[in-house]
Amino acid sequence: MRSRGDSAARIWFDEALTQLADDTGELVASYTKARRLGRAPLSLSAAEKNGAAQLLPDVQFDHWTLEDAGRAALLLSAATARPDSFVRAATDCYDQGDSAEQQSWLKSTALLPEPDQLLAIVIDACRTNILPLFEAIACENPFPARHFPERNFNQMVLKALFNKVALSRITGLAGRRNADLTRMAADYASERRAAGRMVPSDIGLAMTETP
Amino acid sequence: MKIFDPHVHMTSRTTDDYEAMAAAGIVAVVEPAFWLGQPRTFVGSFVDYFNSLLGWERFRASQFGIRHFCTIGLNPKESNNPKLADDVLALLPRYLDKDGVVAVGEIGFDDQTDAEEACFAKQIELARAHNLPILIHTPHRDKKRGTIRSIELVRSMKFPEERVLVDHNNEETLPIVLESACWAGHTIYPNTKMDETRMAALVKKYGSDRIIVNSAADWGISDPLKVPKTIDVMRRHGIDDDTIQRIVWNNPVTFFAQSGKLDVSGIDARPAIDRGQQYATNSVLRGER
Repeated sequence: MRSRGDSAARIWFDEALTQLADDTGELVASYTKARRLGRAPLSLSAAEKNGAAQLLPDVQFDHWTLEDAGRAALLLSAATARPDSFVRAATDCYDQGDSAEQQSWLKSTALLPEPDQLLAIVIDACRTNILPLFEAIACENPFPARHFPERNFNQMVLKALFNKVALSRITGLAGRRNADLTRMAADYASERRAAGRMVPSDIGLAMTETP
Repeated sequence: MKIFDPHVHMTSRTTDDYEAMAAAGIVAVVEPAFWLGQPRTFVGSFVDYFNSLLGWERFRASQFGIRHFCTIGLNPKESNNPKLADDVLALLPRYLDKDGVVAVGEIGFDDQTDAEEACFAKQIELARAHNLPILIHTPHRDKKRGTIRSIELVRSMKFPEERVLVDHNNEETLPIVLESACWAGHTIYPNTKMDETRMAALVKKYGSDRIIVNSAADWGISDPLKVPKTIDVMRRHGIDDDTIQRIVWNNPVTFFAQSGKLDVSGIDARPAIDRGQQYATNSVLRGER
């Protein structure tokens, strides 16, 4: 982040991180203000991608913006400085967030500590009808495959099919396929055929065996 | 032909919609309580929502010559919010007794979680206690299983099936509902759920007994004229007017009249509309008097 964005935004960001680190900053306020980092793509260089892949092998940053990355850094800084109040503060960032803040938050979930404490928010966020919010959870994000109970994971996959989100974007889908998901996908295909509608061509990715 | 749209979320619609609906022959609507797209986080948001269904929205409909009834309930999506669900359930008895509340609904399954099932069951009990029928929302995802589970729950609680309307059916769920004694609703949407031509085919195959059609128009892509448009398509497919009238009027009236609170008397003679009327000092006019 220190090499990206305009200089005023960079100075603000550095200051905000420092204040969080020495426990004088306010996470929720900074989380909103991070909008000044902008929505340009993060566009990691090949070297940066390599570095990230070594630390976080299953996280992809292709769909991240500068504000997404800045917000993730703010959350991690707060988690290090005040681990005891991290869950409360992170929850406030989500609850009080607008749609862009909530997207940043959901994209970053796989990087955050105490995933079990954040799981209920992420599952509930899947109920949204705002597609970019749903994609922030379901796509290029290892959190659901790592932490969702089977029933919630299956619902998320069905919702992706329903919303024409390519199943190839669901990180870890192959390892989480199960008999119930296979049945749900087959039922969905049958319902689509009965209605005279197209069956998504990638539906087989949700099935343990192709019918 | 008298038309009843038994499921339409008018709170999300404009006065242009009301005018077009009245011109197309819609004389009565039921607005089920549902979620608003944006999750609510305070029980007070439900208090205001229920009040607006019973107050401002009913008044607004009346200004276009449309009789407005509603159903009250905690929807399945927001049943999953443990910080909210119990408080909303505690509010319901007060609202279920109010004038023009013709069912408990929309209740049922969305993700088919344990929390949804618990709230669903509690509201079936409330319907029994308040002598109201119930309106069941069936899920978008895993619909067939959700429909079967809904009917099984009603049956296991010995709630009278003839007082149950299972909504949003398709080709695969309709036969399941008709095997029970429940009524079967069909939502005619531009892109999802059911469309006019498929609906006409279902009527030709299954007849008109316990069959109901609605627009479920809301804040998403939907069309509050879908019931009159379905009438046109049914006619073009050779379905006779008696059958159509049963589907778009008699059936929903018979179903919701089980509440004892569906007053459709005098609906043939449309009330003279006085748009200068006020509701809590507010009218649908914008300054002109």
